[in-house]
Amino acid sequence: MSKIGLIIKREYVSRVSKKSFLLMTILGPILLVGFMVGAMLLGKQDDKSQRILIHDETLLVYDNFTEPSEATKQRFKLNIFDKTGDKNYDQAIEKFKKNDSIDLLLYIPSNIVGTNANVGKILYKEAPSSKTTLFLERLVNESIEKLKLEKLNVSMDTYKRLKNKVNLQTVDVKTMESSNVKGRAVVGMAFGVSIFMFIFMYGTQVMKGVIEEKSNRIVEVIVSSVKPFELMMGKIVGIMFVGLTQFAVWIILSSVLGSIGLSFVGSEMYSAGSQADIMSGLSAEGVSKMTQMQAGIINVITTVNWPLMIGLFFFYFIGGYLLYGSLMAAIGAAVDNETDSQQFMVPITAPLMFAYFIVILSIDNPNSPAILWCSQVPFTSPVAMLVRAAMGAEGLWWQIIISMVLLVATFIGTTWLAGKIYRTGILMHGKKITWKELAKWLKYKG
Amino acid sequence: MNESTPVFEARNIVKRYANHTALDDVSISVPAQSIFGLLGPNGAGKTSLIRIINQITAPDSGAVFINGEPLKREHIEVIGYLPEERGLYKKMKIGEQAMYLAQLKGMPKAEAKAELKKWFIKFKIEGWWNKKIEDLSKGMAQKIQFITTIIHKPKLLILDEPFSGFDPINANLIKNEIMELRENGATIILSTHNMESVEEICSHMALINKSKKILGGEVKEVKESFSKNQYKIEFKGNMVAFANAVWGGWEMIEKEELNKDHFLVHVKLNEGV
Repeated sequence: MSKIGLIIKREYVSRVSKKSFLLMTILGPILLVGFMVGAMLLGKQDDKSQRILIHDETLLVYDNFTEPSEATKQRFKLNIFDKTGDKNYDQAIEKFKKNDSIDLLLYIPSNIVGTNANVGKILYKEAPSSKTTLFLERLVNESIEKLKLEKLNVSMDTYKRLKNKVNLQTVDVKTMESSNVKGRAVVGMAFGVSIFMFIFMYGTQVMKGVIEEKSNRIVEVIVSSVKPFELMMGKIVGIMFVGLTQFAVWIILSSVLGSIGLSFVGSEMYSAGSQADIMSGLSAEGVSKMTQMQAGIINVITTVNWPLMIGLFFFYFIGGYLLYGSLMAAIGAAVDNETDSQQFMVPITAPLMFAYFIVILSIDNPNSPAILWCSQVPFTSPVAMLVRAAMGAEGLWWQIIISMVLLVATFIGTTWLAGKIYRTGILMHGKKITWKELAKWLKYKG
Repeated sequence: MNESTPVFEARNIVKRYANHTALDDVSISVPAQSIFGLLGPNGAGKTSLIRIINQITAPDSGAVFINGEPLKREHIEVIGYLPEERGLYKKMKIGEQAMYLAQLKGMPKAEAKAELKKWFIKFKIEGWWNKKIEDLSKGMAQKIQFITTIIHKPKLLILDEPFSGFDPINANLIKNEIMELRENGATIILSTHNMESVEEICSHMALINKSKKILGGEVKEVKESFSKNQYKIEFKGNMVAFANAVWGGWEMIEKEELNKDHFLVHVKLNEGV
């Protein structure tokens, strides 16, 4: 085995065989899926029936509530307390406070019909779920609509015919496919953020590894056998493989666990006949919203070019890691301990953080000039390019190629630079290192 | 290899750093199968020279030869190096670590394992293979480090302060190993600031101070020339008292008053004293 191969192997094996690595690698997806399933199960918690006290000052709204479906009735126990006028609002609150069996108090003020000040209140002891709030809003809204229609002498049928819901699809003229740009940007963002985290996690490991070798002085023994550059590259590449291994395990484990978890939660949910049922019990609009969302997700899944995304993901993943990993190796070599590394870490990781924020912000405007520039500049492109590629790579080929070439050229440059700093730094002890000092090191002869 | 070809030769080495010169026109020649003492105070430039031999760094000018050949990458496999600041991976198993270092020196895996087993038995540490450095005492770790330095049977062994950190018993053990390695054909460069160890085991030596080679050659010659030499003494105090003190055996050649009651004098030990 070549010497650099030996170094890569040692870096890889010593990390992968650590208990903490096994724990993180296996526990990571379990926790992730666990949290997801847990959140969904928690979301289901409000399936318990709620007793709602209604204080209706209009004396009309409650009477016009749409008859809810059986499932809805089971879930929300509508318990009317008073509808005699505004002076009893305080009494209603008193009753609500004293009576432990009442969960919510729905307050419908007298001015809610016919004015624009349409603010009601839900008073709670334990904050209601958004589903409950939504449900009550719909009840009140529909009731008020009915009242208004009566006043205007318009029949419900006419109203339903009048009511319009236009959907504007976004269609890419190049492919004539309708696409959910925002949804696709979210997919790209997920990729970009993963790369961001990967670079950070494993870049830091490179730095720590270098500091460890430097501070326990083994580095002098090793560089008497291999070139400092080989040692540095061996470490960077070895840790990269650790990252790729962990990532692969995560993907496989979380997709397996995820599908198991989802099928479990899904069946539970629908057997209880909750969300969709409640909505459909109320209005057709709710149903259409739901199906629209599902269609949107399906659209995203089918229109994202997955093989391209995964290919780009690995490219930018590796390119970005090599770029930042080499700089982190240089930092590790320049300092004596981790505490001292802060002053160098901040400026070097700043572009990465910047790209991260740009990517997060790009969700609302996926074609902003900021993200365009970020996707070209090598220090930010590993995070930013994926967002743009996810939205459709057709018009981007040149930009992708330029960004890739720049990234490769830059990481070659940073690796060369890092090699110079590394070579001098690893044997330098007890000296306070400044940027000026680092610049000097670049000039030293090997 | 020709008997007279030095195993290691440095010609007119100059190494400069930003603010100082580490080596200024240093030439040394290490004959085959010698134990060569590289003597000098801390910061004199010894480590810089050693790092040049190990190709960790390169000289700004001058030439370095191993067995008469200009220094090249392949030479690292015939060199063994024990740095002054010892260090091993704290959390890596000793056996694996030694295997790793031996393989980095170009040893095939099987051979490395067989050799290591031999040394572990010789040093009576067979049971340590799966231990970690952090579980061992400093002296024990030093033994491991010594083994990893010589495992690939280097022709040229560079030991930087090899006895520091050893108790007298183990220091002796190491001393005997060094002698044995030399008997078996190795040449040893021993860097130290301790004149005694040079006198005790070295056949040749060079003294480096303030980045310059001051003197060098066979130890016994150097000792003789030393005894003929003049001494430079800097002192604070009364000149008359000093003259009285050295009266008889010494001859004052030159004196210089640096300050009030602060003198620099050159004295010579009179023949036959």
